Amino acid sequence: MTGERTFQKFKRLIPKKAFLLWLDSLKKDYKLIGPTKTGRHAVFKEVDSSKELFMEYETTMLSPGKLFLYKPNEELFRFAMNGKITIDEIAPIAEKQIITGVHPCDVNAILYLDRTFLRTFKDPHYEARRKNTLIISLNCARVSENCFCSSVGAGPFLHAAGGYDMLLTNFESEYLVEIKSREAEELFGLEGRGAGQDEMRFKAEKEKSMHGKFKKNINVSGLDNIFAENMEHHIWQQTAEEKCLSCANCVMVCPTCFCYDLRDEMSMDLKTVTRYRCFDACQDMKFAEVHGGNFRQRRAARLRQFVTHKLGQTNQYGVLGTVGCGRCITWCPTGIDLTEITKEIQKFKVKS
Amino acid sequence: MKNPLTPIKAIIKDIRPEAEGVKTYTLSTEFSFVAEPGQFNMIGYPGVGEAPISLSAIMQVGDSTLRDGSFKHTIKSVGRVTDFLKDFKKGDELFFRGPYGRGWPVKKAEKRDVLIIAGGLGLAPLRPVIHLILNSRESFGDVSLIYGARNEKNMLFMDEFKIWEKDISLYITVDEVSDVSKSPHPPFTKEWSGGINVGLVTDLLDRVKIKPERVIAFVCGPEIMMRFICRGLMMHGMSQSSLYVSLERRMKCGIAQCGHCQHSGLFVCKDGPVFSYKEVRGLPDGVL
Ligand SMILES: Cc1cc2nc3c(=O)[nH]c(=O)nc-3n(C[C@H](O)[C@H](O)[C@H](O)COP(=O)(O)OP(=O)(O)OC[C@H]3O[C@@H](n4cnc5c(N)ncnc54)[C@H](O)[C@@H]3O)c2cc1C
Ligand code: SF4
Ligand code: SF4
Ligand code: FES
Repeated sequence: MTGERTFQKFKRLIPKKAFLLWLDSLKKDYKLIGPTKTGRHAVFKEVDSSKELFMEYETTMLSPGKLFLYKPNEELFRFAMNGKITIDEIAPIAEKQIITGVHPCDVNAILYLDRTFLRTFKDPHYEARRKNTLIISLNCARVSENCFCSSVGAGPFLHAAGGYDMLLTNFESEYLVEIKSREAEELFGLEGRGAGQDEMRFKAEKEKSMHGKFKKNINVSGLDNIFAENMEHHIWQQTAEEKCLSCANCVMVCPTCFCYDLRDEMSMDLKTVTRYRCFDACQDMKFAEVHGGNFRQRRAARLRQFVTHKLGQTNQYGVLGTVGCGRCITWCPTGIDLTEITKEIQKFKVKS
Repeated sequence: MKNPLTPIKAIIKDIRPEAEGVKTYTLSTEFSFVAEPGQFNMIGYPGVGEAPISLSAIMQVGDSTLRDGSFKHTIKSVGRVTDFLKDFKKGDELFFRGPYGRGWPVKKAEKRDVLIIAGGLGLAPLRPVIHLILNSRESFGDVSLIYGARNEKNMLFMDEFKIWEKDISLYITVDEVSDVSKSPHPPFTKEWSGGINVGLVTDLLDRVKIKPERVIAFVCGPEIMMRFICRGLMMHGMSQSSLYVSLERRMKCGIAQCGHCQHSGLFVCKDGPVFSYKEVRGLPDGVL
């Protein structure tokens, strides 16, 4: 990538206060979005001032990518139904926005969504927002109960080659700020003090110590094949029957789940039809139904679709479908855990 | 930027009843529409929705009736969108977008024997292949069509059999015999040499001379039928990689985004609907 080298040179320590003031100074041109504290939980939302930010959060229920880039519900077309039908294509609205405090898993999840929405067929809405969004990532300082990003290479520190703008690492009262894009370089006016080899070594040590804190882990080597060979393993049926409610919480909170439905809504006067796109879920009974059959009628087949799409279908995009954020585990009402299912299957593999 | 999900308006130029609950719609649009055999469009109407429907005739194959860039869809009414369409009349507007997907590998079939095997509605996406072969018959070796339907009332394109028969071998079968006199088409048993057989499509495989190293097979029908056909052809010595099948999955977008058609990491809408048997054999949540 052009200019990558100059950006790599920009590594500076900035007092947190100064950094937050800089964010506030951007408010006039950008919508500022970040983690905030709401009751016991942290939530990504638009803020009026950096004072509202809660940068020490561990995890959120919903990922910023699936709130501010890929929208849960989006109007795409409006059809005027007077005699000859006319189509009004809703123009993408893309206000300039900054999303700050994005954890490495969630940055990787955005890079994953890019594969769905910016490849062969580009989605104009997603593309416009993506172009107008500055992503400031924050390396994790705490490991949440269900995180397993260290097992899948998506965290707790960010190593993605590009596709985001800035990376922060917590250094007590300062942030180590690394600039990753030209836009961020142009915007960032603070000098701070230069970070040298010592600071980078300190960052590496922090990262190393973080890796030791994970309670959940998973061995992903050869998983495509291990799953393919164990499609009828009893764990699928057993977990599905005993625990799964097909409630779809897991896919709704998943930052990489991209599935959608297209829905038409007719106005009361029958003159306008609006076509929406909204999140959909493979856990829904009708998701894979066709005339004469349903390819995933069984709950076990639907659960297996979710788990294998996250961990064992790398033929799709060439990367794992999970970023190890652990949200599906946290928000499953009956505590279904894809790392446990995987371990059970791997155990079987070793035995046989 | 244009949204790839934007529907395009088409005018219905002709509608003809094809079989029980099945009609063929000839559509035209402002531009000259081209597609490849085996590709599909999302057909829909505002307020009703969209459904994936194969092209049953396209201009590219040189069908003399379609020089004007129109195209055909042969549709069976089974649900929301398809039921809505059945009351349409000539001159009405409907919407489509496409063409989508990877079609039949007709280039690979050149100079080879071709086996076209269809069950029921599965003949619709194969008709453009037949037209293409008839248009450059000398580019292909022996060509046979094996076609089975529940009964004659469910059989598509019967009026074309007589033309097809001149250049390719036809093997037609029905699962059951119903009253031929009540068929929407004139009884055709006497009019073409092969007659109708009674029995499953798979039973006809033994009647065709299969030279495994020369032949390529295009198969479309219910998934369970394709399973038995493919396994039967492999018993005749054919390799998995010269067998092609077209899969049906639920589709909302047609452009590898909505996820509905996913089949073990494949997007049936983009990577298919036509796959070599090798690519899809034994995948979970399928019966191949
Ligand atoms: C690549 C491809 C090519 C195809 N080509 C053709 C073609 O050439 N011709 C053709 O006729 N078809 C074709 N199909 C099949 C066609 O897309 C399906 O039949 C499609 O489901 C029709 O959409 P629909 O909206 O009419 O039906 P839907 O409303 O989606 O109905 C589909 C199924 O859901 C059931 N259903 C619908 N509503 C309800 C409800 N309220 N409650 C319970 N069950 C319900 C129906 O009984 C049916 O089983 C193709 C499919 C694919 C994937
Ligand atoms: S897990 Fe299910 S809902 Fe999520 S992306 Fe995969 S198929 Fe779609
Ligand atoms: S959240 Fe849990 S119970 Fe609900 S569908 Fe997912 S795995 Fe099943
Ligand atoms: S139909 Fe939407 S992904 Fe294939």
